[in-house]
Amino acid sequence: MSWIIGVDVGGTFTDFYATNSKNGTTHVWKTSSTPSNPADAILGGLDALCKHYDIPLAEIERLSHGTTVGTNALIQRTGSTVALITTKGFRDLLEIGRQTRPHMYDLQKDHPAPLVDREQRFELHERMDAAGQVVVEPTAEDIDAVVDQVIASGASACAIGFLFAFRNDAHEKLVAQALRKRAPEIVLSLSSEVQPEFREYERLSTTVLNAYLQPVMWGYLQTLEDGISDRAPDASLGINQSSGGLMSPKTSREFPIRTALSGPAAGAVGAGHVSMQTDRRNVITLDMGGTSADVALIRDFSVDLTFDRDVTGFPIRLPCVDVETVGAGGGSIAWFDRDGLLKVGPISAGAAPGPACYGRGGTKPTTTDANLLLGRLSSRGLLDGDMGLDPKLSIDAYKELADQLGFSVERTAHGALGIVVANMVRTIRMISVERGHDPRDFVLMPFGGAGPLHARDVAVSLGMREIVVPASPGIVCAQGLLVSDLKEAFVESRRFMVDEKGLAILARSLTSLKGAAEIWFDDENVPAENRQLQLVVDARYMGQNFELAVPVAEGNNLTADDLPTLDGLQANFCDAHEMAYGYSSIDDAIEVVNIRMSATAQLYRETTAQLEKTVDDTLQPRETRQVYFSDPENSFETNVYSRVDLRPGHTIHGPAIIEQLDTTTPIYPGDYAEVTPDGHLIIQIDPGAK
Amino acid sequence: MNTQPQKLDPISLEIISNSLRSIADECFVALMRSAFSTNIKERNDHSIVIVDKSGRLVVQAAMTLPIHIASMGGMMKSVLSKYGSDIHEGDIFVANDPYVAGGTHLPDINYAMPLFVGGELAAFVCNIAHHADIGGMVPGSMAGGMTEIFQEGLRIPAVKLFSRGELQTDVMDILMLNVRVPEERKGDHNAQIASCKLGARRFQEVVDVHGLPKILATFDEIIARTALRMKAAISQIPDGTYEFEDFMDGDGVSTFDIPIHVSITVKGDKICVDFAGTSLQVRGNINTTLNAVQASVCYALIASLDADMPSNQGVLDVVEILAEPGTLLNSVFPAPVAARAHACQRVIDVVLGAISKALPEHVIAAANGANTTAVFSGNDPRNGKPYVYFETLGGGMGARAHKDGKDGVQVGITNTSNLPVESIEQEYPLRVIEYCFVEDSGGAGRQRGGMGLRRVLTPVGHECVFNGAGERFRYQPWGLFGGEAGKSGQFILRCGPNETRLDDKPNEVPVPQGTNIVVETPGAGGYGCAAERQADSVLLDQDSGKFSPTFIQKYYGHVKRET
Repeated sequence: MSWIIGVDVGGTFTDFYATNSKNGTTHVWKTSSTPSNPADAILGGLDALCKHYDIPLAEIERLSHGTTVGTNALIQRTGSTVALITTKGFRDLLEIGRQTRPHMYDLQKDHPAPLVDREQRFELHERMDAAGQVVVEPTAEDIDAVVDQVIASGASACAIGFLFAFRNDAHEKLVAQALRKRAPEIVLSLSSEVQPEFREYERLSTTVLNAYLQPVMWGYLQTLEDGISDRAPDASLGINQSSGGLMSPKTSREFPIRTALSGPAAGAVGAGHVSMQTDRRNVITLDMGGTSADVALIRDFSVDLTFDRDVTGFPIRLPCVDVETVGAGGGSIAWFDRDGLLKVGPISAGAAPGPACYGRGGTKPTTTDANLLLGRLSSRGLLDGDMGLDPKLSIDAYKELADQLGFSVERTAHGALGIVVANMVRTIRMISVERGHDPRDFVLMPFGGAGPLHARDVAVSLGMREIVVPASPGIVCAQGLLVSDLKEAFVESRRFMVDEKGLAILARSLTSLKGAAEIWFDDENVPAENRQLQLVVDARYMGQNFELAVPVAEGNNLTADDLPTLDGLQANFCDAHEMAYGYSSIDDAIEVVNIRMSATAQLYRETTAQLEKTVDDTLQPRETRQVYFSDPENSFETNVYSRVDLRPGHTIHGPAIIEQLDTTTPIYPGDYAEVTPDGHLIIQIDPGAK
Repeated sequence: MNTQPQKLDPISLEIISNSLRSIADECFVALMRSAFSTNIKERNDHSIVIVDKSGRLVVQAAMTLPIHIASMGGMMKSVLSKYGSDIHEGDIFVANDPYVAGGTHLPDINYAMPLFVGGELAAFVCNIAHHADIGGMVPGSMAGGMTEIFQEGLRIPAVKLFSRGELQTDVMDILMLNVRVPEERKGDHNAQIASCKLGARRFQEVVDVHGLPKILATFDEIIARTALRMKAAISQIPDGTYEFEDFMDGDGVSTFDIPIHVSITVKGDKICVDFAGTSLQVRGNINTTLNAVQASVCYALIASLDADMPSNQGVLDVVEILAEPGTLLNSVFPAPVAARAHACQRVIDVVLGAISKALPEHVIAAANGANTTAVFSGNDPRNGKPYVYFETLGGGMGARAHKDGKDGVQVGITNTSNLPVESIEQEYPLRVIEYCFVEDSGGAGRQRGGMGLRRVLTPVGHECVFNGAGERFRYQPWGLFGGEAGKSGQFILRCGPNETRLDDKPNEVPVPQGTNIVVETPGAGGYGCAAERQADSVLLDQDSGKFSPTFIQKYYGHVKRET
């Protein structure tokens, strides 16, 4: 029992990252994804990986998996038929949403149609008030009638969302009980269980999305679990959640919506792991692929969370890694807007036809074409020479833009990359500056196929001085899965003032939340020493409507004694407000609206085998070529190194290009890069660079 | 320092304007998240723009409301003419008055902060936010029945709230003394001030990277290029004169059936929008100043011709608008204007109606055409404190050439969110009993109009007061090309089985415990003949329960369900 395996399912490839927890040996494996049933690629790839590296299946301790089954079902709208039960008078709430249009000026753009048709939305005469007191008790006849309607609708899943159920779930429970009794085959999602927080539309939307995915996820997990228990009966399976922690298959079946944004989460957790290995506490990540780039903020080695997100146009309210996506990738197309401004993306040439240089019929100028014609990419292509790239086709693609601008092709391509960088910079500002953080206090960590190519320009635009390129930028996600903790979040929506009375409420909530967390720890067989609790309140000045997450206490075994004093709590809130909005006021009343406890069970312990340090510095370039860096008018004769030749202790001075299987990293003139003991690359930017 | 503008290439231009948009968006989020007024924090009734030193609008935050653009442009004219060379680093101006400070109605409070680079004025960052109350006769400062602007609240000319970085506490004291719930309004002002200061810091950072000359050149280029783009958009309209007329229900005081007439003349890339034939200004508060009309006309043109067009001075400069002073759409002092949004929405309808004659595929039928306003106030029995709950409700969106209109959305110049029921009931002693679509409210047609909304509220543990403002409560939202009109809206006071229809702009209606206020907003018009509606769409209308069997039979008798 010594192997732990991370499996990341992407659109094209399924990546494996296996590590031996006893001696730190690691292996990487890649196999083509099987979108119609992703479990095939996982099981097939697992067999192949174990065979190739001689890993006994019985020695697999854990498999950590990030699934896109839920996300894809939402994108393709292939989830199940859902019935919805609401409080009487509110069946249209799901469709009305926040009564807004997605675009101020566009008369043709609409929000997506709701996932539950109106005729599948039923009402029950029941009501709670804001304090959770019963206003209308539902009658047994009414409950029976609504159960009849749900059964008659033929739905395979049912969402229940009543007003103020986050304060009192009794009515949702009553209906669930009746449904379970009469129609046990219908799976249920209760708003009081999926996310018991105020704001009925967001809670309802999250609950409906959950119901929509439940049957799909049941089927998928069944196949996967059966396949794994056939092979490695003792291995546990962890499913990645959008918050960047793992959950058990049982929890995933109940709350499949938690996987909906888990893709970028794995990358952010993997980056957090690299930040620890390189001892870089504050990191901004840039995960850039073919069509888009994800950026996230890591503070003190961990990823920030957010609670409001959108999946395919539907709001969800759940803890999610705070990742922003921008339509900037290798395939992004450069084009002139109607007012003559040059834009790049969000339209992408995708994998087919792909960038012009692929020679598959694409003629539009893309980001990859620009990198190729500036010499930053090799014409041998990315995948170790499997697929050559034709710079001639890239030049042809940029010719028309260049003629319109009256610029050389190189200057045009250089400008297009500048715009790609500006788009990414704007998104990074959203997750840093808008949240009160100064990017200059962070290092940039690019990964994904295209991240390292653009990292230097992004860093300079934001005033950042250091870049960390992980050893294997293509498998940071799989690595993230492997190092993820088991995580569960508990919340109580309680509205109270921060005063002595409020502290007493907080202490009571701490006790009840901790009780719930302990039941969960026990269920998941987490040993006492691996348990970690964190208490956070969502607080605001009395009268505001947006809350700030304010950390209150954390530890292995929290008790009321760990709570801060009144002054301490007020100060924590004011600090958070000051940081986020630039002002705070110690005299104004503060109120809490949610109390959250996050429970974490550490699964992974670092036992990395470090690479051998180089004894003599005789690193030889594999070749040289002409490359354009900051100046679009002048290219440099540039040494090209292979990453496999790099050893800890090596230093490479720019201009240089470092190529590896999954990415290319330019080192600009004046910059230099060092290889860390774990094989990561740390680039120091020329202090004079602008 | 060299501050001469220089010529910029399209690449640098895109990169710099990207940075400027970024500043506006950051200021927008900061203001939203730290404000106290429900209108701002939950409903995004606020906006940010950056203007150049001569007051020309350059960039706006992505979620800026069109009507706010007018207001900020108007304020800048006033600041520049009043203060001229007396504008200094660290000053922050505040204003709201429509007649002397370019505003559009009093609750929208404008802020402008000059941005200096190397001691020279370079630009202004401006924000605007709708405060929940600005004093005046009635809580919420939005109710009907008033006949002079003095009754609508505190009038603020363009004044310095900060002078060289120092808060002018005497000015702030006046602002605070004249509003209800001043401690909350103080929070809104703080949020607006912080947003200005944030904008100033960010602007300096962008200047540090690109240098001022390039930024000034970007201002000119953005405006010039947008003007060209707007001209190209106008050229799509065949030359000619296109007219349209519609009537507003009433002003809530004494005038009914108020005509709005437009005549749009297009020649090449020139357009003139003439409102001759429109009513004189009225006693009630649906009048509007010309700058809000300008914003509305430009909104309708952008939406129908080129929806991705940036909205800046370049658009405003190209469109000529004529409306006589003293008329409904160019009111003069002291006409009341609080509910000017109703007139603005109707301006959009008539402009789209006129364009429908030239470019039928580009427009939509009449929308709920209103900005149905509901204000509940009273003393909270839980703590004895006065409260004001204000909201505007969406309704139907007009049917499009190839799609039905959307149900229950904000339309035209506004896109504010609703307030969650669970927020309303936590914050106010009110209970929401129903929130749904109004049956049969979408006008029939090949494409049907959107549905109106129904919201039913009741006071809990006390008697409250209701004020409201509805439009298209009599003049229904019209259809296009044979499409039927949508249903009109109404306010109802309901006590058990007894329902009383209230005035369309009801004033100070007592709502005792146990009675309900029913708000029904208008639907919207259909597009094309009902007889041409596809059978599956008709069946969906019926199965969804949005339309009654009677309605379906009346308009879509041609469709029979296959058995």
